[in-house]
Amino acid sequence: MDFAIEDSPEQTEFRKEVRAFLETAVPPGITHTVDAANQPREQYELRRDLGRKLGAKGWLYPHMPKEYGGSDMSSDEVMILNDELTRIGLALPPYYDSGGRMGGPSILVWGTEEQKKRLLTPIFRGEVRTWQLLSEPGAGSDLAGIKTTAIRDGDHYVVNGQKMWVGSAHGAERSWMIVVTDPKGERHKNLSWIMVDMSLPGITVTPMETLATGGEGGAGGGCKNTVFFDNVRIPAENLVGGENNGWKVATTHLEVEHGGTGRLQDRRVIGEFIDYCREKHNGFAIADDPDAREQIAEMFIEGEVMRLFAVRNHWLSHTNQPRSYEGAQYSLRRKLGSLDISERMLRIAGPYALTTDERWAPLQGAIEYFQRDGITSLHPGATTDIQKVIMARRMGTGGREREQAGKLR
Amino acid sequence: MDLSLNETQKLIQDATKDFVRGACSREILVKLDRNKNVDVMATYWKQMSEMGWTGMAIPEQYGGSGNSLLDVAVLFEELGTGPVPGPLFSSAVLCARILLETGSEAQKKALLPDIASGKRVFALAFTEVQYGWSEDSIRMKAKKEGADYVLSGTKLFVDDAEYASDLLVVAGIEGGAGVSLFRVDAKAKGVSIRKLEGFMTAKSEVIFDNVKVSGSDLVGAAGGAWAGLDKGMLAAIPVLCAYKVGGCKKVFDISIAYAGERKQFGQVIGRFSRVQDHLINLVNHLDAARWTTYEALWKLDSGQDAASSVHIAKAVSSESYLNACDYGHEVHAGIGVVREYGLTLYTKMSRSLYHSLGAPKYHRKRLEKELKLVA
Repeated sequence: MDFAIEDSPEQTEFRKEVRAFLETAVPPGITHTVDAANQPREQYELRRDLGRKLGAKGWLYPHMPKEYGGSDMSSDEVMILNDELTRIGLALPPYYDSGGRMGGPSILVWGTEEQKKRLLTPIFRGEVRTWQLLSEPGAGSDLAGIKTTAIRDGDHYVVNGQKMWVGSAHGAERSWMIVVTDPKGERHKNLSWIMVDMSLPGITVTPMETLATGGEGGAGGGCKNTVFFDNVRIPAENLVGGENNGWKVATTHLEVEHGGTGRLQDRRVIGEFIDYCREKHNGFAIADDPDAREQIAEMFIEGEVMRLFAVRNHWLSHTNQPRSYEGAQYSLRRKLGSLDISERMLRIAGPYALTTDERWAPLQGAIEYFQRDGITSLHPGATTDIQKVIMARRMGTGGREREQAGKLR
Repeated sequence: MDLSLNETQKLIQDATKDFVRGACSREILVKLDRNKNVDVMATYWKQMSEMGWTGMAIPEQYGGSGNSLLDVAVLFEELGTGPVPGPLFSSAVLCARILLETGSEAQKKALLPDIASGKRVFALAFTEVQYGWSEDSIRMKAKKEGADYVLSGTKLFVDDAEYASDLLVVAGIEGGAGVSLFRVDAKAKGVSIRKLEGFMTAKSEVIFDNVKVSGSDLVGAAGGAWAGLDKGMLAAIPVLCAYKVGGCKKVFDISIAYAGERKQFGQVIGRFSRVQDHLINLVNHLDAARWTTYEALWKLDSGQDAASSVHIAKAVSSESYLNACDYGHEVHAGIGVVREYGLTLYTKMSRSLYHSLGAPKYHRKRLEKELKLVA
């Protein structure tokens, strides 16, 4: 067993190549931004530019096949690429791209050869940003209970309905969404996935006002939208995985969303907060207090458990090994662990953890944002309760047949 | 033994319920929370003083109605269900009780009737940059100049200072030991009050830049204010705890209601045992906060040694409110973080009040002394 990302001579060369590339490709001002909630438009555009540069080299979705714009990169090399981006405060992709991160693997597994070429290439090359559209007012945990319909009409599907908890700020070129294609059909056998061009007439995007509202955001906090569809005509060739076969496609999508692929990025805010506690601010260091030190140690331990679950999932998925409950387990731990860590920060830093004030806020308000984000991140990508249900099914509790993890390749 | 409320308390409860339903509906509170320019004082203060709430915790001889702390707590539990913002607690309970314990007869006669009528609004300027609620966390020093004093320094995260006409400032005196209390006009030359933004309510930075304070505004003995200050704070704390109990109760009520109407997988979510677990955890926090708070109030009202109970109540209610909101969010998931829905009003308040008048850690340390675990 070896946890170290230790470079072979070839990998050392690759790391050099990555670092040299990033030094020229990454513009100043987009690294180490602490406040994802207030990412301005220009910052987003710079990140998209970087995405196109990475995409042109096949490095935006590097583990994906070359023929669709990836690089067929090995797990170790992906780790190096991630590692180098993390070092400068960025991730892959360097912008919110839920429809690419989760729709990509789904199309790879369930799409036709023609669809893979046509739909995946622009995503993997960074030419489009794609949102995922799943939840509706009446369908959150119960995804199969969605009501948005896509009815076949000649060469098109006509879409009507409402999706919520969508995306981020600054719009998207495409959306990857689940719809009802057979309103009279049996539950789980009436759904399909379809790729939507967001410039089509009949689509209205309205921002939601949430606890962590504003800005580009990410999976948990940040800007979320409601999207309305009024007789939107979508070419039938954009339906992926076969009509009414959407629940099977969803297993792949949800496997990625629930953390089945893991991730190597640390919760940067933890390390930055510990640095802050160690340093003197306003004439004193938080870490001078032994009680605070104990809390900091406990907080750090929780962060390490979360990180190791993610590392394990990354290793399992990038080496194509069998998985069962691990995706949901990571997701559950990350949700509860992040809330726990945010509350420990409140106990450690006192009201300082709650302010965005320029004069007094630690880390330019990143801790205050984390207080809100810890709460808003409890529900996206399924609640803690749903994650527990998935874990129980996949462990085969009570002698039931063990449910299989979603297909990723 | 009888743990029920008496008739007066039931009347107070009903009147407050009406007020919260009417003047402080969730719609209004959400608007207040979103719109930084809405004036909380203009919205509520006149009505609150007319109802006599500003005088409840003040004895009749000083212009109040001399209610028991339990009566006052019943009011605050209902205000907590709003949660109704504003300086009622800071001024009419906390500072009033501190003045009662520390002020000279002349000061009490001059100040308490104005607090009782709502004319003056007091805030307690205690905490500093190195935040804490113990006597030794006071580092600010006043300088004596003849019969007067000069105050310089920063008070931080001062609750309700933005609404105040008067500040009760806790500071030492140069060359002397102990802490003293000074009444300072909030608009006095050299005082600047700046509201701090963030995931919290009504906390300000208060800077004193060579502020002249008349010797007659020294409240209590020079260097000897701690005992009375502490006694006043200990009497006020359970009233703040009752406000948190009200918050927990409302979060429980809306979570139960939501679990009974939100349908997923063809049934209401309250039928799922995982959702029930959140509601059970929530009500356990609510009841723990409630009964620790009300026993402390009973001990204070009946003149018993209440210190341990007060420390327990504050330690429990701060954690309970935080956790109750977390469980409320687990039950509600997405809709709970939509600001318009209102659950986040309580979440924000639970975080904001967690440290006010001492975080659980501080009160556990005080309890260690009460339990004679340390000298």
